[in-house]
Amino acid sequence: MTLLRRYGTLLALALIVAVFAVASPGAFGTVANLVNITQQMSLLAIVAIGATLVMVVGEFDLSVSAVVSFAGIAAVSLFGAGHGIAAVFALVVIAALAMGTVSGFLVARFAVPSFIATLAFGTVIGGLTFWISDGATLFSGIPPAFRDLGRGTVLGLPVPTLWLIGTAVIAWLLLDATEFGRRLYAIGGNREAARLVGLPVRRDMIIAFALSAGLAALAGLLLAARLGSAHPTGGGGYLLSAYAAVFLGMTAFREGEPSVPGTLVGAAIIAVVSNGLTILGVPSFLQDLMTGAIILAAVLVRQLGRAGD
Amino acid sequence: MRAPLIALAFAGLLATASAASAVDIAVLTPYQSSVATNQMIKVFEEKAKTAGWNATVVDTRGDMGQLASRIEDVTAAKVGAIVLVSVDPKQIQDQVSAAAAAGIPVVAIDGATAPGVMLNVTSDNFELGTKLSDFLFDKLGHKGNIVKFYYSAHPGVHQRELALDAALKTNPDIKVIAEHYMVVPGPIDDARKTTEDLLKSKGDQIDAVWAAWDEPAIGAQLAIEADKPDSKIIVAGIDGNPQAVELIKSCSHIKGTVSQDFDAMAGLAADGLTKILAGEKPEKAELYAPAKLITPETLGVTCP
Repeated sequence: MTLLRRYGTLLALALIVAVFAVASPGAFGTVANLVNITQQMSLLAIVAIGATLVMVVGEFDLSVSAVVSFAGIAAVSLFGAGHGIAAVFALVVIAALAMGTVSGFLVARFAVPSFIATLAFGTVIGGLTFWISDGATLFSGIPPAFRDLGRGTVLGLPVPTLWLIGTAVIAWLLLDATEFGRRLYAIGGNREAARLVGLPVRRDMIIAFALSAGLAALAGLLLAARLGSAHPTGGGGYLLSAYAAVFLGMTAFREGEPSVPGTLVGAAIIAVVSNGLTILGVPSFLQDLMTGAIILAAVLVRQLGRAGD
Repeated sequence: MRAPLIALAFAGLLATASAASAVDIAVLTPYQSSVATNQMIKVFEEKAKTAGWNATVVDTRGDMGQLASRIEDVTAAKVGAIVLVSVDPKQIQDQVSAAAAAGIPVVAIDGATAPGVMLNVTSDNFELGTKLSDFLFDKLGHKGNIVKFYYSAHPGVHQRELALDAALKTNPDIKVIAEHYMVVPGPIDDARKTTEDLLKSKGDQIDAVWAAWDEPAIGAQLAIEADKPDSKIIVAGIDGNPQAVELIKSCSHIKGTVSQDFDAMAGLAADGLTKILAGEKPEKAELYAPAKLITPETLGVTCP
């Protein structure tokens, strides 16, 4: 029973995979498809890992989807202006870090609720994205080498999966094995106590927001590379899914704390359910019903387990 | 946790079992909430049923990344064919190419030609935009101020906008005094709110509303009806949306819509797919469904 309470979400993921594998062994249960799922979850998981960093300090960053859209549009626009891949990558990520810094500053310095600050600033970023793109989907001028950053395989693993592995390892080490990470958890646990013991609360919160935006930009760049195009609202689907992944992850491994491994499990559940239901030919409205039900069930099981402690 | 999972497994197994004897057709779109897209899907589903195919519809609500993933899924599931509705396949070219390479025929409805796409059935969007602009400018006597509702993200709708730009060049006395990039999903409400604001700020200057499709036109009509019912503002759109046609019939401010024959598009696509599944190659890679202008006059109505 303790095992179920502690690792219930992880077991749920294993069970969902097992059910789909039995229902569709020829398509879902293949190694190729399971590897493909890691590719499909990669961008969502990268955005969700960024959201995790902000949630660790007890805040929300609702501008992540706007930053994803911005990054793709900005990148393709910069390619059109003749810039190289490295310069575009650097410029876009730096711009996103600056955006995250502004959000973090508004929250940490002026105590603006993060819901409002990031929603408002996300709207500003969305406007900027439309202004740059003139509202159009951008296709032209994307170098083939840039596209290779979001597609293809290396050593049998999809390139986006490798980006996810790299991001997850760095973020996990950052949160669990560095003083900075422990400070973030301390701020999230009790901000006033963290301030009283002399932790640089404002600075660390701003860094968390900046990293969140930076990771959203990375996902946006990879999305543009994967699709070979950039859409001014291309990141719209990531906001709710990313937070669903973080919340699902909070029911795994730790006592209600956001964590990188937990977020990975959450993102994997979302990706597996979408993939499996599509392969089984379940219509999309039914997929929504079942996805929502699975997320609710996973969270409820955890809550009920805790209530029984 | 157990009950939903059992339900999940049961539904999945049911779907698998029901699909066992029929050709699986995956119908994918990012815009199912659009009336026109929904209509095409409904007609295609009916045609699929008649043909004995098992059609499954997946809507990704404007999310192209999700659309790419879902195409990968149905490719892995080795469906009999993929039908893309209201999306330019070039926006998900890698996935379309992978499906084609796996031997899965890809057909587009109201999309575009692209490598790997065996057939695209659509309207000539530039022609639709030209017909709309010519109609509106004729009604205005080639002089007046218009409001433009547009959505450049959809390649077909963008073509209509380009047609307006071309028409404006030859009509220098027509001025665009306001333009609004539509919010999708939810274009009717977005157009209603925007028109309300424009009526307050520029109500006396607006002579007509050019809507890139009918839903923004309907939104504009709702706002004009509520705030300035006696104004002479003319509204026109594209699609032949049934609600817009009813509003034209009732002598509202909507005076015209360039009708796309969505039923014909879906039907032509189903016919083309039947041939493709029989091993034939389509005669042309792109087919155009006919378009016609609908006005009170063509509907046999005399408006005051």
